[in-house]
Amino acid sequence: MRYLLSLAVIVAAFLMSGSSADAQKKKAGEPKPTESEDTYYKLQTLPIPEGEVLEGGALEMLPDGKIAFGTRRGEIWIVENGLTDDPKNAKFTRFAHGMHEILGLAYNPKDGWLYVTQRCDVTRIKDSKGKGRADIFEVVTDGWEVNGDYHEYAFGSRFDKQGNIWITLCLTGSFNSNSKYRGWAGKVTPDGKWVPTTSGVRSPGGVGFNADDEVFYTDNQGPWNGTCGLKHLTVGGFVGHPGGFKWYDAPEAKYLGAAPLVPKTKSRIMTEAKRIPQFTPTAILFPYGKMGQSAAGIECDLSAGKFGPFEKQLFVGDQTHSTIMRVSLEKVNGRYQGACYPFRQGFSCGIVPARFAPDGSLFVGGTSRGWGSRGGKPFALERLVWTGKVPFEIHEMKAEPDGFTLTFTKPVDPKTAGDVASYKVETYTYIYQADYGSPEVDRTMPSIDKITVAPDNKSVRIQLSKLEEGHIHQLAAPGVRSEEGSQLLHNIAYYTLNYIPERK
Amino acid sequence: MQFLPGSLVLASIIATSTILAGASAATAQPTKAASGPVVPGFARFHADGKADLATGGRLLFGELHCARCHTDATSAKDIKSAPILDGIGSRVKHGYLEKFITDPHGAKSGTKMPNLLAGLDDAERKATATALTHFLASTGTPSQARPDRKGIAEGRDLYSKVGCVACHGTRDTKGDADKLFPTNVPLGDLKEKYSLVSLRSFLENPHDTRPSGRMPGLLTIKESNDVANYLLQGSVPGLSATNMKYSYYEGAFKNVPDFAKLKPVSMGETTDFDISVAKRGSDWAIKFDGYLKIEKDGKYTFSTTSDDGSILSIDGKVVVNNDGVHPPATKNGGVKLTKGMHKLTVGFFNGGGGVELKAEIEGGGLAKQNLGPFVYVTEKTEVPVATGDKKDAPFTVDAALAAKGKTLFGTIGCANCHQMGKEKMQLETLALDQLKGDGDGGCLSAKPKKGVPSFGFAANQVAALKAALAKPFPNPKDETPASLVKQRMTALNCYACHERDKVGGPEDDLNKFFLTVQPEMGDEGRLPPSLNGVGAKLNHAYLKKVVEQGSHDRPYMHTRMPKFANHAQSLVEAYMAIDTPEKAPKVALSETITKTKFAARHMVGPTAFGCTKCHTFAGQKAEGVQGIDLAILTQRLQHDWFYNYMLNPTKYRPGTRMPASFPDGKTLLTKVLDGKADTQIEAIWVYLADGKAATPPTGLDKKSIPLVPVAEAIIYRNFIKGVGNVNYSRAIGVGFPERAHYVFDANDITLAMIWQGAFMDAKRHWTDRGVGFEPPLGENIVQLPTGVSFYVLGSNDEAWTAKPAKDIGYKFLGYRLTDDSRPTFNYSFNGIKIEDTPNAVESKGSPTIVRTFTLSTENPIDKLYYRAAVGNKIEADAKAGWYRVNDMRIRIEAEGQPIIRQSGKGMELLVPIRFKGNTAKLVQEYAW
Repeated sequence: MRYLLSLAVIVAAFLMSGSSADAQKKKAGEPKPTESEDTYYKLQTLPIPEGEVLEGGALEMLPDGKIAFGTRRGEIWIVENGLTDDPKNAKFTRFAHGMHEILGLAYNPKDGWLYVTQRCDVTRIKDSKGKGRADIFEVVTDGWEVNGDYHEYAFGSRFDKQGNIWITLCLTGSFNSNSKYRGWAGKVTPDGKWVPTTSGVRSPGGVGFNADDEVFYTDNQGPWNGTCGLKHLTVGGFVGHPGGFKWYDAPEAKYLGAAPLVPKTKSRIMTEAKRIPQFTPTAILFPYGKMGQSAAGIECDLSAGKFGPFEKQLFVGDQTHSTIMRVSLEKVNGRYQGACYPFRQGFSCGIVPARFAPDGSLFVGGTSRGWGSRGGKPFALERLVWTGKVPFEIHEMKAEPDGFTLTFTKPVDPKTAGDVASYKVETYTYIYQADYGSPEVDRTMPSIDKITVAPDNKSVRIQLSKLEEGHIHQLAAPGVRSEEGSQLLHNIAYYTLNYIPERK
Repeated sequence: MQFLPGSLVLASIIATSTILAGASAATAQPTKAASGPVVPGFARFHADGKADLATGGRLLFGELHCARCHTDATSAKDIKSAPILDGIGSRVKHGYLEKFITDPHGAKSGTKMPNLLAGLDDAERKATATALTHFLASTGTPSQARPDRKGIAEGRDLYSKVGCVACHGTRDTKGDADKLFPTNVPLGDLKEKYSLVSLRSFLENPHDTRPSGRMPGLLTIKESNDVANYLLQGSVPGLSATNMKYSYYEGAFKNVPDFAKLKPVSMGETTDFDISVAKRGSDWAIKFDGYLKIEKDGKYTFSTTSDDGSILSIDGKVVVNNDGVHPPATKNGGVKLTKGMHKLTVGFFNGGGGVELKAEIEGGGLAKQNLGPFVYVTEKTEVPVATGDKKDAPFTVDAALAAKGKTLFGTIGCANCHQMGKEKMQLETLALDQLKGDGDGGCLSAKPKKGVPSFGFAANQVAALKAALAKPFPNPKDETPASLVKQRMTALNCYACHERDKVGGPEDDLNKFFLTVQPEMGDEGRLPPSLNGVGAKLNHAYLKKVVEQGSHDRPYMHTRMPKFANHAQSLVEAYMAIDTPEKAPKVALSETITKTKFAARHMVGPTAFGCTKCHTFAGQKAEGVQGIDLAILTQRLQHDWFYNYMLNPTKYRPGTRMPASFPDGKTLLTKVLDGKADTQIEAIWVYLADGKAATPPTGLDKKSIPLVPVAEAIIYRNFIKGVGNVNYSRAIGVGFPERAHYVFDANDITLAMIWQGAFMDAKRHWTDRGVGFEPPLGENIVQLPTGVSFYVLGSNDEAWTAKPAKDIGYKFLGYRLTDDSRPTFNYSFNGIKIEDTPNAVESKGSPTIVRTFTLSTENPIDKLYYRAAVGNKIEADAKAGWYRVNDMRIRIEAEGQPIIRQSGKGMELLVPIRFKGNTAKLVQEYAW
């Protein structure tokens, strides 16, 4: 019965989205999108040396514009001349080999070591003889364990401002916690101590920071994850999957006190978040199939404009769709939440790591091994460069007590932007359950009560008939035009409304 | 829309209360079924009284064969038939027959069989039942077979996974009923009813005796045997569980001996080539004798895997010669065999070392499998039901009673529903249009009159039947395909597994019993597919085949589609009539057929759309999940459905993990063919239409990735398999150009395993997700002692620690490399820093590993020992500094004098560490 209802909802959703597309088509004579994503963000593919297999696992920026590329086969390659206009200039040199599925690299400029997160530990490596190859491999911490299950991945961040590396540890088989701290996140302190901080991890895909140095990671659809999401990691928090609760009794985690209440299955995230104080609701839910299917690496644009108009927003890779998604966050009720937007597709293969270079270009590492992805290449190292042209995009969707404010990257045409018919809003959420994944459920179709275009034409205030706590609010704006009459490059945004802002 | 529908909750409450009410009634009147006869579709959709009453009544009317008595011109043809009773005596035990006839609802709560003797007094009832039993039992006696112990476990697994549970509820480890949900068809006491042979035959082909098709076929011959063994375990008295004879001999054999010349130490019967009858570790032989049952003429391949030698002979001729002293080795042999029993002998001997014997059979339609279950002690495989239990005692048919029973079979109404020889229905009844549903003493009244069948209806069933009878039955000719789909899916209980148009699908109670081999596929990998639009999705011929013959095209899903033979034909036609596919455009290929297929082969492969990442191709494995095979795609699917599905997978399979390869209807492969989605989809169709004959996409056949150290060492950190059950999850494999290699275990923090020859094959870990432990690629693999290498011993007889390194304060600190990548490992223990450099060294004959230690500390301590070796036997070699440990030679170079000591059943070689100042040095060489 449950299954049926959900199916019905999805079927209904498709019917509805179909009709909106039709409506769009019918408006004849309107300008087509004149430009593609490529006009604004150019994609370069770096030439991996013939015969080498460099499956993207981790990326880090080194001094002098060098890039460290860690691979799933356990190698680290240094890329020189990677920041020039012609990717052919890039020179690849193997720096290290023989490590175990590298999914984190962090360079410490203070000590000159490169910190590598591999399955079983964080090891720092160095070229002590100046021969261009690492010759010292020092274990920094091995505070968690591996039992030989391939799903027991360990993703590591770069350094936060306090000098910590944040680690997210995939569950055993992505279902259970059969080895120590599987299903946890934690930090490795500057003195090499492993401090587990957060339970509830399932199958992470990346870990990174926002502009305020707060740490986030991506988790993937599965048990207790109706869809993929971006989650905020806090000390003492719980992020959704109760599989690792037994480690609250382990010595390193004792400081956190007792395990949280076990969530009830077939519930909703916000229902359980109200019951379980430690539960940090997923900041961003990436609607399954619409925004991707395997959320991965996270990077924040701190380039001060070198990457275009989205400063301080997050860019998140997807391994299945081979896309980079865009995320804006805000704090409501003391918790992070916000919206995600399509940003750039067309990468050569599934994206795992992403890292901004000092010049404001975004490097991504790709792999399709074991998990198929769009693009058709088995592995890749690619670079996304802003062309200097500003795309017409929804810059940010922000929650209001009675609706949302949309800001745009360019001034809008007030007539179309102020027209209710230019928009389409629906809401839905996912079942929070021990079973794998979830269909979209609890769909509502709020009506737009009022639209106000700001005097500067850079933002629009949308008041809705009803907001739904805990729902994704999917807002499409196919009818909105810029001052120059162009369509939005991407006309959709998905806001995860865990908390409705209070009226001031 | 709220997620938990109130109606569902309410429905289950009502269902529960019905049961409770029924249960209390049952206490007072034990012969009455709790919920009346169980008709799953009624229990699920009509029990709450919310659905149309008359529809529910008509469902009951059909499922309970009412029309067999209450005939009607329009409905007579398509009437469900009760089980065929021809030869019933050879299928059902007489004790059960009598019990069931006397009180059907008492013998099998929920049965659809009415009690025809309800109105009789006790004496008459007993006499009637006895006479009928003699009549039915006169048709044969059930055969019994030897129970198959291995079959029990497999049968249990099958029962719980392939779909039995969806209709019959769960059963416990003994095969008895466990949880029976309201919509589950009860099975009664199977152990009282069936013999192994008769249940096995029934499961093999249920339609033979159940022509209604309500029980579909689901199991192969072997599986039927397994499930029968599971369900009937413990109910076959007096029969031995053994299936072959053995003779056991002792002696220092180098080959399988000529047993005729030897005197056995012991003899007896055993099961499935069980070598545990041997009484000592080495120097013995066993001869197994039995009879091999061959069901089909044909060519068979037999194999033995043994350590040491074995010889398998059939009818006195050697078929497999796997003789001689050797590690586990497999040999095959082929032979043509005719149907029937063949004399089988397997001779086996064990000199010393490892011991193993496995015999397998393949051919004649059998996949390769263990030979044991095909073997019998005697030529006679099936024996009549054995004595030992009164119920099973041989039954003597009394001719007079049987003749009386034969008459009664017709007169009391049995023949109205059951086929049995030429017996004619003789019980006269009212025609359908004369039924009012309110007659006193009729079928629907609480107490039917003498001679009227008593169904033990529940109140809601009576109400539904009355509602149905209150108006004329619709003419089947007026039935629309849509109503037929609903009616047939309800009657055949398709809804137990499949949803269609928001109706049906696994019930909440039963949902968790639908399992998958790939949990990460989610519900898609676990639950049978929705049948929404199935007539627009599947080809007519394929859909027909699936329904008639069953299928298991989704290998990841445990539940299978059972076979309904011809019972669902009208359903298939109705699907085809109402589900109309969205039309696909006519697409002209942009290239020649050859070039189109070539391009499609590329598109399907891992470097384009990557279909083969998640779908098998003509049986070749995919990398990650093993989705439905691409080579049968065009056999299964309709062309237009495929086109539309490719453009928008989630529209046709909501929630599917299949990613959209054509976002916004556009291809991402702009350079393939004409760069248009339409052409590319058509090309893939054309290519896949070749089925198994299509040239598979490249990249499916995973090649080895041997890691070959040439100028420098290679480090391979991964999951490496050790000897026996030992695995290293934190292995640091190091391969050397000298062709001696090792694993350093970062958990035990010591050298764990050494070998020679080739180093490692990285294929397992580098070509797919990297599942499992990979053993060394080379030879002469030696496992070194597990556990730490350095420890402080209080006294000479203190045992070496078994504690994990981390727990006793060891810290693994990493390693540094030489210019040619040879590692020195660093670790600390007790304030001592240890540098450990195992290195491969050229040597005469074969390379050795030389392990050099440097220990340094601020506070040198006494009583620190290094454990150099553990073995069954350790002794000093003639050459100074050398020791023999099992088959290996070890050299120790140290300040302290090594000690050989007993440790448990084995021996240890310990080296006391003597510091010079703040350091100590130690060298150990392994030569093997």
